Amino acid sequence: MGDFENWANATFRQSHIAVDDDDLAFVQLIYVSTMTRLGVLDRLNLDDFPSRAIDLRRAPDLT
Amino acid sequence: MSHPQDLSLHEQAAAIARGDLDPTELISTTLLRIVERDGPINSTPVVFEKESMAMLHDAPRGALYGVPITVKDMFALPWRAARNGSERDLISATASGPFRRLRDAGAVVVGIANQHELGMGTTGAISAYGPMGNPWNPATCAGGSSGGSAAAVSARLVAGSLASDSAGSTRLPASYCGVVGLKLTYGSVPYDGYFGASTTFSAPGVIARDARDARLLAEALLDRPLASSSGAPLRVGVVRTPFWDDVDPEIAVACESALRDAEWNVVELQIEHLELVGAAVLGRLIAEASPPSADVMATLSRPTRAMLLASMLASNIARVGRLRVAITSADGGLASAMSRPSTAAPTSSRCSICSSTTFHSASRSADSQATAISGSTSSQKGVRTTPTRSGAPLEDARGRSNNASARSRASRASRAITPGALKVVDAPK
Repeated sequence: MGDFENWANATFRQSHIAVDDDDLAFVQLIYVSTMTRLGVLDRLNLDDFPSRAIDLRRAPDLT
Repeated sequence: MSHPQDLSLHEQAAAIARGDLDPTELISTTLLRIVERDGPINSTPVVFEKESMAMLHDAPRGALYGVPITVKDMFALPWRAARNGSERDLISATASGPFRRLRDAGAVVVGIANQHELGMGTTGAISAYGPMGNPWNPATCAGGSSGGSAAAVSARLVAGSLASDSAGSTRLPASYCGVVGLKLTYGSVPYDGYFGASTTFSAPGVIARDARDARLLAEALLDRPLASSSGAPLRVGVVRTPFWDDVDPEIAVACESALRDAEWNVVELQIEHLELVGAAVLGRLIAEASPPSADVMATLSRPTRAMLLASMLASNIARVGRLRVAITSADGGLASAMSRPSTAAPTSSRCSICSSTTFHSASRSADSQATAISGSTSSQKGVRTTPTRSGAPLEDARGRSNNASARSRASRASRAITPGALKVVDAPK
């Protein structure tokens, strides 16, 4: 078993979620695709995107 | 008039108000039409004969008095739990916030609108009730996740339906089925009794045959009138790149024609860093997707289960952490409140699968030091913060997928922090 399978199995086992080989193959496919799409974020320099403070007291009142 | 459901929503409401249309008859003929016509599109798998008549009996004379609608399976009703397109009850039967608003406007719920399982798909092809077909060609998909809402309105089974939208779940199926979909502003409608796919994206939406009907439904849900305007002086920005890069010529012509006919002031725009938007949205969706309990997980379709499991893994990486919203406060905020034993993945210098150097590198304990949370919703007054799995161990994610648990987490968070400022922080690598 490779790193991914070992890691995924351990994580799911801790969450008491049973997975089979087909699940793992599907998860790996989605995971890799997701990582590829998220890769663009590695180029993100947060200094270029200064954050703006949000005052929580101004949150919408939903009641 | 051939059938009352050939009337628009506002025409139905007006005809009832004038006394030209008997609401009891409208409900009966609507239920009959659903039974007769819904087979191939499977938009409304559950109808409420008894409950709809009871609703009509008690309905106030509001703007939607006597008008039949359907409600996406994501919203709990007083007589039926929210199942979210799955086999299991996910939120117990209760009058959800959006339901209350529609009920108070006099609307009558005649059935459940089918949807993509857990809202985790844009095709409507996967649901415990079976796939949804597009009324224009039932062999093709209706879109999703609110496919049942869009298909029912398009097929004239009902004139309006309550949908929801995290990343297009109202707008996409409406587009697929040739009707109008409007996502309402996040936080503008009470959130309780609603099982959204994402804590900071999901919001109720409406699907109707035209903009006027969408407005009528939206006003009921918002419980306030919307400002009226001809839109004549409206300045509209059109971002062609990359959105028009592969558009079908037919669609491009239709859009150009609509822009021209509206006589708006059209401004061509280019937006920098658009390449980051998709990744940012994906990252937030991953960070906020909460796997249901293990027993519910076992009943889900394999694709839905795999997406949830993949999000469990992906939410543990620094890339997603970089998008997290953190709460800061004098006492360290959520860092101390949410710090728990780490379930960090084994570290690796480089992922053997995707070659990412950040794979496995963001440990839970490191996450906690970043005072990271990645959700912000609840009906709590004042402070509205919901830490997600990002700030809690994975085993705590089990069974925390409904709004009750979100509120519980928010309550914990609101007790733990002093209302302060939100800011984006970089999670440690």
